[in-house]
Amino acid sequence: MAKEDKQSNKDLQPQAPDKSATEDLDAAGKSLSEALRISFIILKVIMVVLILAFLASGFKTVGSDEQALVLRFGKIRGVGEKRVLKPRTWPYWVFPYPVDTMVKIPVEKKEDLVIRSFWYYQTQERMLAEPSIEKPRVLPTLDPINDGYCITRSEKLDEPISGSGESDYNIVHCKWQLTYQIYDPERFFTNVYVKEVKPGDIYFDVITKSTTPLLQSLFEDAIVTATVNYTIDDVMYEQVEGLTDDVRKLLQEKLDTIESGLKVVRIQMIDKTWPLQVDAAFQALVTASQDLETSISEARTYEERTLNEVAGPVAQELFAALQDKTFSEEEMDSLWSQLAGTAQEKITEARAYRAKVVAGARANAEYFQELLPEYRKRPELVIQKIYQDAIERVFKNVDEKFIIPKGAEWRILVNRDPSLKPKNQQGAND
Amino acid sequence: MKNITITMFIILVVVVLGLYLITFQVRETESALVTRFGKPVREITDPGLCSKWPAPIERVHRFDSRMQVFEADLGETTTKGAVPIIVNTYIVWRIAEPLKFLNAVGTVKEAKEKLYSQITDTQNRVIGQHSFGEFVNSDTTKIKFKDIEDEMLSDLKQTVSDEYGIEVKTLGIKQLKVSKDVTVKVFERMKAARSQKTEATISEGQGQATKIKGDANLKSSVLLTAAEARAEAIRGRGDAEAAKHYKKLDEDPEFAIFLRNIESLEKILKDGGSTIFLPPDSEPFKLLKEVPSLEPKK
Repeated sequence: MAKEDKQSNKDLQPQAPDKSATEDLDAAGKSLSEALRISFIILKVIMVVLILAFLASGFKTVGSDEQALVLRFGKIRGVGEKRVLKPRTWPYWVFPYPVDTMVKIPVEKKEDLVIRSFWYYQTQERMLAEPSIEKPRVLPTLDPINDGYCITRSEKLDEPISGSGESDYNIVHCKWQLTYQIYDPERFFTNVYVKEVKPGDIYFDVITKSTTPLLQSLFEDAIVTATVNYTIDDVMYEQVEGLTDDVRKLLQEKLDTIESGLKVVRIQMIDKTWPLQVDAAFQALVTASQDLETSISEARTYEERTLNEVAGPVAQELFAALQDKTFSEEEMDSLWSQLAGTAQEKITEARAYRAKVVAGARANAEYFQELLPEYRKRPELVIQKIYQDAIERVFKNVDEKFIIPKGAEWRILVNRDPSLKPKNQQGAND
Repeated sequence: MKNITITMFIILVVVVLGLYLITFQVRETESALVTRFGKPVREITDPGLCSKWPAPIERVHRFDSRMQVFEADLGETTTKGAVPIIVNTYIVWRIAEPLKFLNAVGTVKEAKEKLYSQITDTQNRVIGQHSFGEFVNSDTTKIKFKDIEDEMLSDLKQTVSDEYGIEVKTLGIKQLKVSKDVTVKVFERMKAARSQKTEATISEGQGQATKIKGDANLKSSVLLTAAEARAEAIRGRGDAEAAKHYKKLDEDPEFAIFLRNIESLEKILKDGGSTIFLPPDSEPFKLLKEVPSLEPKK
């Protein structure tokens, strides 16, 4: 036991075969140990930092124009309304990848899609050029590969054009614009294919590019389906709003059928035209319509002028009153009092005649009554006086006076004064 | 303490690596097929965390289960009445059964080739059973455009589902056209119809204008006639009032007539330019003949 103790003591006591070498080794070991200790401390700090950073990466914000879904191991987390995270001032915390993944969907942004598939072919230069008076060269046909168009139904004619039938149709070119947005982020994310977002890509642009082919097909389908129910005049002028409404309904129906989570915000027909091949015929109708308006306008002007000349502003009302026997005498008198124009002149002349006739008769009667007593006293003298005075006045105005003795033969040339020629002779000489 | 920390760290790493090797996620937008040594053993369509044997024992094949659009080329087909039309049909589809899809098709590219021929067949078959008048008609009740699309969808849906594990969500015709030669006839018809309308519009314009002018002339005539009648009545009243004064002339009608004749004579010869022939014994011209013999009154 003692020997063992001694042995063990010996073992415990460091052996120092070479005292300086041993001291060197101790120093190196201590340095290494110290270095390792510091390394482990640093490593621990790094690990703690990494763990904290890992946990901190779980903080996510949802922008004001977005809504978000959290996928836990690929499956949407939450129930009911809680499945969709709405924007708020403080961030959400989710487990970092690979446990949770947050997918943000832009729901407020509205995007436009323009459809030119139903327009005739134009070169790039033509499309960018300003509209000019000079019409482009037009081929007699439409090429189904290059030229786009919609087919519209014909109107039902009482007398169909020869060779036509029920299945007659017209062709129209049109351009459309769709404005849409995502309204159901869960449906959109789950059902609509969107390409993988690569580093540097903007997610919204990727969404737009991915959904364009789908929306374009559905939109064109809706346009074709709706347009066959309308005539070309409906599309061009009369039922634009109805057609646009039908297209919108059809498109939204299709989007809802496939559960796309997309909503139609607005649809517009941004341009439309008849085929260039029939431009002359359509322009002729436009001109005829304008001429119709002009003819009617001119006729109305003629009507207004004529009635105004005849009776003034009250003409129409007076005419209606004359046809309508229910007007009272006071109402008629009121209308007659507002009369103007030729009719008023007639009335005025009649009134003047009346005044003149009454005044004349009154004056004659008064003159007669003044003379009568004198006449009764001296009838011959009064008659002679009145007669002679009259003869004096009359002969003052007579140009020529001839006193013809009895028995003499006189030959008289009448109308020697050219100014007194009869009217019919005057016309013949002219 | 240090050893425990290191040990725990190592255990954590091993666990994480282990989980990585034996688990996988299926996203909401995916479906998956697990194959064991190349042979399909499991089809997963529900999203979530799933387990598997590590590769190369089991492998996971992922399929995007979201909807995609596919359109066939613009192609000519004929309707029931042998009327040729040109249509462009599209479908919206998704992979519904990954196992069937993988066995029958394999890739999306190959699937599109299969779908192309299926769509073309359906298109020709269904459209061939309908007349052109069911696509477009002046009688809108006869237009069955949407019904034809639905029929094509029904025809295609079951076939591609059974054969390829593909679900077709919707089908539609996005372009409906006619051949070049037919467009010439269409334009001729459109021109004829417009000519008819133009003539009708011109006639209508002329007719309406004529009517308006005619009505104006009629109204004018009626108003003038009414005014004339009213004027006549006024004149009549004037004559009646004047006649009241003529009663006073009844006291000596002969004298009254004489005065009236004198007035007439003056009025008639008032304006001049007249020539008068008189016998020599008319008053007062007989004075020119001789001196009158007068006797003063006693």
